[in-house]
Amino acid sequence: MILAFSIAVAVLFGAGSYLLLKRDLIRLIVGMVLIGNAANLFIMATALRRGEAPVLPADGPMSDPMVQSMTLTAIVISFSTTALMLALVYRVYGAHSTVSIDDLAFAEESESQAEEADDAADFLDSWSTRLPDSDLAPLTTSASPTEARP
Amino acid sequence: MILIALPILLLWAGAVILAMLDGTRKPVVLFAIAILTSAIVATGFLAHEVLTEGTQEMLLGGWPQGISIAMRVDALGIVFALVSLLVLLAALVYEALGHIGARIFPALVMFMALGLTGIFFTGDAFNFYVFFEISMISAYVMANYGETPRQFRAAFIFIVVNLLGSVFFLIGIAAIYHTTGWLDMVLIREQMPLVAENPAILTATIIFVAFSIKLGLFPFHFWLPAVYTGTRPAVAAIFSGALANIGTYGLLRFGADIFPRELEQGAPVLMILASASIIYGGVQAVSRHTPNEVLAYSSIGQVGYVLIALAIGGEAGYAAAVLYAVINAANKTLLFLSVNLRGKAIGIAYAVGAFSVAGIPPVGGFLGKLGLFQLVTEKGDWWFVILIFVGGALSFVYMFELFRRRFWVPGDGEAVFVPASVLVGVLAVLIIAIGLWPEPLLQLSEHAARVFPERVP
Repeated sequence: MILAFSIAVAVLFGAGSYLLLKRDLIRLIVGMVLIGNAANLFIMATALRRGEAPVLPADGPMSDPMVQSMTLTAIVISFSTTALMLALVYRVYGAHSTVSIDDLAFAEESESQAEEADDAADFLDSWSTRLPDSDLAPLTTSASPTEARP
Repeated sequence: MILIALPILLLWAGAVILAMLDGTRKPVVLFAIAILTSAIVATGFLAHEVLTEGTQEMLLGGWPQGISIAMRVDALGIVFALVSLLVLLAALVYEALGHIGARIFPALVMFMALGLTGIFFTGDAFNFYVFFEISMISAYVMANYGETPRQFRAAFIFIVVNLLGSVFFLIGIAAIYHTTGWLDMVLIREQMPLVAENPAILTATIIFVAFSIKLGLFPFHFWLPAVYTGTRPAVAAIFSGALANIGTYGLLRFGADIFPRELEQGAPVLMILASASIIYGGVQAVSRHTPNEVLAYSSIGQVGYVLIALAIGGEAGYAAAVLYAVINAANKTLLFLSVNLRGKAIGIAYAVGAFSVAGIPPVGGFLGKLGLFQLVTEKGDWWFVILIFVGGALSFVYMFELFRRRFWVPGDGEAVFVPASVLVGVLAVLIIAIGLWPEPLLQLSEHAARVFPERVP
């Protein structure tokens, strides 16, 4: 029984991790749901006893009610965080009209480069004898925007 | 003990009521501040009880111990609860003095206060997880406060990474339940030495990873700068002053209390991670330009000091960790709130915070550094003496580089509004007061460190 649980948890967790590495926010959320369910299944597997449903009066040994209540709580929590993540993806989509991580990274890159240029200009204005522009910029931007785009 | 339930019930009721009201209106904000203040007063009374009479306990529903969910408040919990609530109050007042940008903000602060108080007051491992999620979910929403596209992106990373951390924590709790058979932390502590070595180490590692993600410790830090950079000062102050306490408290509670044997075995790893954190955070902070980014990397560095104290351990080590965590929370709140304002008075307040981070007397941060210093010199680890010096020098450089950029040059930035500078001034005076009259805080942290059982070699 433990073997079956372990395999199921491993498959769920593995599939979830695989989806987390995809370049799409919706897949990412599905991955998180799978990983959350792997955790829920893991809690069920940690039961100390197995047997009948834990309802009195019972004939024979009862299963462990503790893990069931814990799983139930964890399911409710992961449900609410999933809803929150979906709402956030909707906001991201509203702001950028895309849910692809590559496009978002591109937007991030161009935004931070614009900021960097501003920053460097301020820096030079205030401290005119200091370093030239070219020394400041590469410190924080590693990849150029053209590389970030597929 | 009804006094344990009082702060939680107050915050709970307040949060639910506030969630339905428009938080941008002045009376509603005043109501939120009143609720938070009364919760702090109630916690203060509870602190008096705990410090004079010892650990307070309440078994919910009147069931016997082991079946009922226990609320248990000891000196460690009460210290963290008071600090977190005060930081939340400062941030809420700061936002209220400016203008509150979202109707949900006061309710979120209240929910986070509820979650944090619950974490610090609970004596049940699964209940810890539930309160932990309450405060994390309000943090997830709070990360969007300001509603710029950049924050949405940062918040998404924040949610995914921290949700993974929560899942790890949940798995750790389930593993503890399976190996010890209990969820009550006192009973777990008694049962833990009987657990076989391998499962115990595995569980301890999973829980360590979970809390390190919350803390933003070096290899798990990647979400932290992204979130801090785009966010508003009050939210950044809440994250680094209140929310990060979960990580410190969790490491102390689960590390020193439940897994003392595993903590001792893992000490070398902790020390390596702590050193990496201090150096990485310091160097990155020096190279950054936007104020929030500098302070975010500074947070990563400061966590390292707490971890060193934890890894050295013993009563002195835990006391130093608590002291450092408390002072760090105060520093970061002051710095995040002051760095986006302009003006001479604000500049002085910022300088107090900067001296405190660098650890220069007479401000509070000196105490934290001094405690650590005594600890490492007594232990005779010269590498750590050098590390603390280098870390301090780096923090001095980035703090005053930022000071120069923000306060020495004319430029844009939020215009000074007088009430906010009064608040920032009060925080600065508080930090100086801690430095000048350190006995109460020192005693408090020593008291907190005594809650852990003696290590058996």
